Amino acid sequence: MLKYLMKRSGIYLIMIFLTTSAGYFLAVSSLKPAVLEQEKIPRPTPEQVAASFRGLGLDPDLNPWERYIQWLGGIVTRWDWGRSPNGAFVNAEFADRVLVSTRLFIASIILTLVIGVALGVYSAARQYKFQDRVITSYSYLVHILPAPIAYFLVQLGAIGINEAVGERIFFVTGISTPGIDPGWPAFVDMVAHYAVPTFAMTIFGWAGYQIAQRQYLLDNVNADFVRTARAKGLTRNQAIRKHALRVSFIPVAQSIAFTIPAIFTGGFFAEAIFAWPGIGLWSIQAISLQDVNVATATLAYGSVIFAIGAILADFATTLVDPRVRVQ
Amino acid sequence: MTNIIDPIAEIDEARVADQDVVIGKSRIIFRRFMRNRTAVAGLFIFLALFLFSIFGGFLTSWDKDTIDPLNIGMPPSPDHLLGTTQAGIDLLALIVDGTRTSILIGLIVGGLSVLISAVYGCTMAFFGGKVDATMLFILEALIMMPAILVVAVATSGGGGLKDLPSWLLLVVVLLFFSWMGTARLVRSLSMSLMQRDYVKAAKYMGVPSRRIVWRHLVPNIGSLLVLDFTRGITGAILAEVAFSFIGIGIKVPDVSLGVLIGQATGQVSSFPWMFWVPLTVMFLLTGSLAMMNDGLRDAFDPSSSSIGRAKTKTAKKVNK
Amino acid sequence: MSTNITPAERLRDAGLYAPGDAVLSVRDLNVRFNSENGVVHAVRGVDFDLMPGKTLGIVGESGSGKSVTSMAIMGLLPETADITGSVRFKGKELLGLSDKAMCKHRGNDIAMVFQDPLSSLTPVYTVGTQIIEALTVHNPTMSKQAKEARAVDLLRMVGIPSPKDRLKAFPHEFSGGMRQRVMIAIAIANDPRVLIADEPTTALDVTIQAQVLEVLHTAQEETGAAVVMITHDLGVVAGMADDIMVMYAGKPVETGTVEDIYYNPRMPYTLGLLGAVPRVDTATKQSLVPIEGTPPNLALPVTGCSFAARCPLVSDACLHGEPELFPVPGVAVPGVEGQALGHKAACIKANELSNDADAHRIFHAPPKPVSKFDGVARVERDKVLELKDVRKHFPLLKGALIKRRIGTVKAVDGLSFDIREGECVSIVGESGCGKTTTLLEIMEFHPDQVGEVIIGGVSNKVATDHKTKMAMRKEMQMVFQDPTGALDPRFTVYEVLAEPLENLGMPKAAIKKRIMELMKLVGLQPDHVNRFPNQFSGGQRQRIGIARALAVNPKLVVLDEPVSALDVSVQAGVINLLDKLRAELGLSYLMVAHDLSVVRHISDRVAVMYLGKIVETGDVDDVFDNPRHPYTRALLSAIPVPDPNLERTRERIILQGDLPSPLDAPKGCNFATRCPVFAALPAAKQEKCLTLEPPLASEKEGAQDFACFFPDGELDADMLVVHA
Repeated sequence: MLKYLMKRSGIYLIMIFLTTSAGYFLAVSSLKPAVLEQEKIPRPTPEQVAASFRGLGLDPDLNPWERYIQWLGGIVTRWDWGRSPNGAFVNAEFADRVLVSTRLFIASIILTLVIGVALGVYSAARQYKFQDRVITSYSYLVHILPAPIAYFLVQLGAIGINEAVGERIFFVTGISTPGIDPGWPAFVDMVAHYAVPTFAMTIFGWAGYQIAQRQYLLDNVNADFVRTARAKGLTRNQAIRKHALRVSFIPVAQSIAFTIPAIFTGGFFAEAIFAWPGIGLWSIQAISLQDVNVATATLAYGSVIFAIGAILADFATTLVDPRVRVQ
Repeated sequence: MTNIIDPIAEIDEARVADQDVVIGKSRIIFRRFMRNRTAVAGLFIFLALFLFSIFGGFLTSWDKDTIDPLNIGMPPSPDHLLGTTQAGIDLLALIVDGTRTSILIGLIVGGLSVLISAVYGCTMAFFGGKVDATMLFILEALIMMPAILVVAVATSGGGGLKDLPSWLLLVVVLLFFSWMGTARLVRSLSMSLMQRDYVKAAKYMGVPSRRIVWRHLVPNIGSLLVLDFTRGITGAILAEVAFSFIGIGIKVPDVSLGVLIGQATGQVSSFPWMFWVPLTVMFLLTGSLAMMNDGLRDAFDPSSSSIGRAKTKTAKKVNK
Repeated sequence: MSTNITPAERLRDAGLYAPGDAVLSVRDLNVRFNSENGVVHAVRGVDFDLMPGKTLGIVGESGSGKSVTSMAIMGLLPETADITGSVRFKGKELLGLSDKAMCKHRGNDIAMVFQDPLSSLTPVYTVGTQIIEALTVHNPTMSKQAKEARAVDLLRMVGIPSPKDRLKAFPHEFSGGMRQRVMIAIAIANDPRVLIADEPTTALDVTIQAQVLEVLHTAQEETGAAVVMITHDLGVVAGMADDIMVMYAGKPVETGTVEDIYYNPRMPYTLGLLGAVPRVDTATKQSLVPIEGTPPNLALPVTGCSFAARCPLVSDACLHGEPELFPVPGVAVPGVEGQALGHKAACIKANELSNDADAHRIFHAPPKPVSKFDGVARVERDKVLELKDVRKHFPLLKGALIKRRIGTVKAVDGLSFDIREGECVSIVGESGCGKTTTLLEIMEFHPDQVGEVIIGGVSNKVATDHKTKMAMRKEMQMVFQDPTGALDPRFTVYEVLAEPLENLGMPKAAIKKRIMELMKLVGLQPDHVNRFPNQFSGGQRQRIGIARALAVNPKLVVLDEPVSALDVSVQAGVINLLDKLRAELGLSYLMVAHDLSVVRHISDRVAVMYLGKIVETGDVDDVFDNPRHPYTRALLSAIPVPDPNLERTRERIILQGDLPSPLDAPKGCNFATRCPVFAALPAAKQEKCLTLEPPLASEKEGAQDFACFFPDGELDADMLVVHA
């Protein structure tokens, strides 16, 4: 098992390397920070700009390949992901940003999975009944609603609640109130900031799991092995709960990997809408500032997230399905 | 239970005698689709929006570049059926333009990505071995790329890609990241088709590979491709709206539904029509496509319950 | 009449159960399903009494309602099914019980074994868990140790080696036969009074079938349960059942003791079925009894006899009113002790059918066709196919996620044989023996293959250019096992048949003419060419497949299990057609089949394969009547014969275990690990089998070749079973 995970991780490392390199070339050839420097007052001369960028390792006179070698050398030898045009180190900010994003994602990933699977089971058990129709129609509706608009609508709703109550219950933007007292007030403040984005990401995130779980469970409800369990003396519901459910979870577990990019994208939109200073927002800001190194770093982070998801999916599959266990 | 002979099939057999059955297949699918009311409603809404996006300009005397200085940020009125923006531009004119852009993006991305995935998937399945492994690796690496960042980089860059109009740039980028899922499906479906006895039979008869692909594989993955086409259109329209909404998709002066919705978010309370009208149009567009997709899936699905209904109806017609 | 009522019947009328009375009693069972095409009346009035410890065989073809009957008894049909009538277990009515109330009986009083062992066990639980679950449901107070001990006992009882370790194994680590044993262990876990077995061996190889039937037999002896054995195979029940019920179109059409049914059938359908089955134990070369047509559609009301449309004895009276089961005169009165059913038949002509009715004449079985080659000695005929030392080895990979090579599977290992003009050669063996790979190797016909394949004088070693290959393809065509999968569902029959002809560049008019000829040749109506495959029945589809193979006038047709997907009555028609075509067109066949009865009927020569090698080959009658290799003997002895007396008394060889993993194959004789002769040999002689590979050779001129050092060796007593 360990050997297998190592092998998979190796393959994913190669892929991450390739996607990141491709991302770097794209960024280097399309992002031109020098253009923005021209808007500064006093307007620097091109020579000044070039000189300052050269100091930051962003020499605009080098060709993309030379810059790539320089950049890659920095990472390989010093684990230095380069600097922004304003001189900030990518490494310095990266950890904070990742922490913010991870905090935002983790809660909603878990909630999405749990609620999605639970609702899938519930709606499958009540196939074609009222509850099933409501839940499943909702999931299909979510499919035709772009994530940022959905989040925006939630934000509007939260503002509406605040206005109706006449008090600021939910914060619709930001991560915390500056200068809040530590301890209980800080905790309440955190919850008030977390509630809206987590809620939004969750209620618009579970649809995929719900539909998949419902479908796979329905596929298994009349399976031969469920009939065997019933023939042993289990009631239909017991047989489904004990036998069909676990089998139907196998493909759902496998699909986790492929929903990770969606969660990443969703998180990206959520950060943009709710102004959370995570990786997503950082990347947008960086791109508008024509910041090659930050853009590439966030891209690499996205690939890593995907790889982790894929390995987790493999792991989950081996947990629930003895057929793929490897000695 | 399986071997009970279907009486309707027997009646169908009688109908077969007049040679019309060779084209019957597509006709059956068409009939089944038309019998699905939701799907037909979806088709009509989509066609209406399509016509609107082309001829909608005649509904207003204003165009999207003309400012009406007398009506700035006005709600809908007889002069401006859907009101004006805070810059004084007729919203109807903007929406006609935006809908056209969105549909155009959807059709191009949906169509081309189906084509790419079919070619790529079939190639993988057909050659197998090393070719398959390499192509699969590339495909998975592409899936791994966070598409959204690439879109952002490509559309925000000050570099070489700037020459393209922003909607075309978005089309190119969306296209780049839209075909992998279908390509995988096409690959696995073709692989299982290659194992079918009738494909083997053709092979053993000495039928050339090219002809086998054309006569046996393509028709059998056709339904998947048609379904994916409608799904691809929806996906592209949604992606455009999402990206433009947060400002990394289409850039002004190009107009799209996403741009309109995104621009209006700042003033939802003061100019609500500017937000809700384009949002409704987007919903009609994606909703109609989803409805059609549902009907198409039903029409193609050989195990679908509407098969029975379809056959019963034809049978009744014959009996008359 | 009233004086004739037995005490048991009186108790039954009062709703009470008397010891010695039927343990399961079904009355007027009717099942209806709603379907797209209306209400399907799948089971139409089934009555039977199952006596304690007895075995009832329910025989019928697919769609006859036999499985639905068993599911209705178990209460496992979907809620949408409409079930009426009465099912009493020890006098207690089971129909109408809630799912929960029924659970007390399921698995405890009545247990069931299903057809497909591969899908009937939950893949994510160990077999131990699944057996213990059956115990827990009905014995909540039983201790964990007691349950585990019982599970080990059960596994031992059904013949699973090292049962204690195997408790922790997952179903996918078991072969099909082993899984079916586990299913039986689960079924008998709570000592049920009734055991229903629904086609328990249909999905298994013959040798495994023999093992599983033996396990069922043991299980019945251990538990004393009454058994309902549902099958389409008249051979399987002949030796096991006490009583038989023949079902057709949802209704019992003939019931009686096993002797009544097999030796004195009074319903034309039963008569036809018995005649449609080829026999493995006799060399009579006459055609099989074909039953033309298809069963009626049960969504439409049945007005006359349901078999009338297919019955050769039909008269006007048969079309008016469906006949009930009438007692057949001349046999014991129903209700007499020990006789549950009495001989009854649902045919108004039952009395007129004499005891020695000849099914072949009644059903107009065609005469055995004669080929122009029949008179020519084998050596004088041309070779249409020759294999010289063909090998196909695959790397054996293990692991679902990581594949690593752990050895080599010698799927085909040094095969040499030839086929002459006008003869049929069959390859037989268990699944995994390499017979299908052999066919694929022949069809592949590629210069890079190991060994030489010569078709019509052209060797694969020289067939590099397209033209030679095309010429070869014209010589040899293939008919597939699954008639549905072999036809593109999007093609009309015309397109299906035109494909090979177009490929030869035949002009359109000629193609049309040829297709009409082909349709007539295989017994289909030429005006059906515009239909799609799904508008035909299974047998008709297989005829289309045969027509396609014949389109280019090949000399050799490769048949891969050509009738195994078909019902018995349909199978006979297709076999007769194959016989006729061979004679009329002078074709040669290379057939792969697992059904040795079919092989015996149709073949001239046979090759028995075991682990990629031929172990015995020769004239079919020589091999079948006087098998020399112990494997051939075991294979033949595993086939049940539709003859109750013979079946009860004959000695059978039950091979131990499954086909071994190719990795475990010994250096010498492949078969040594399972060989009944080897097991009985003294150690000194065993050494020879383990170290030397026996050559394939004949004992005397003209007899079959076989590969065994001790063909006359004693058989190991443990592997011999006689049911007295």
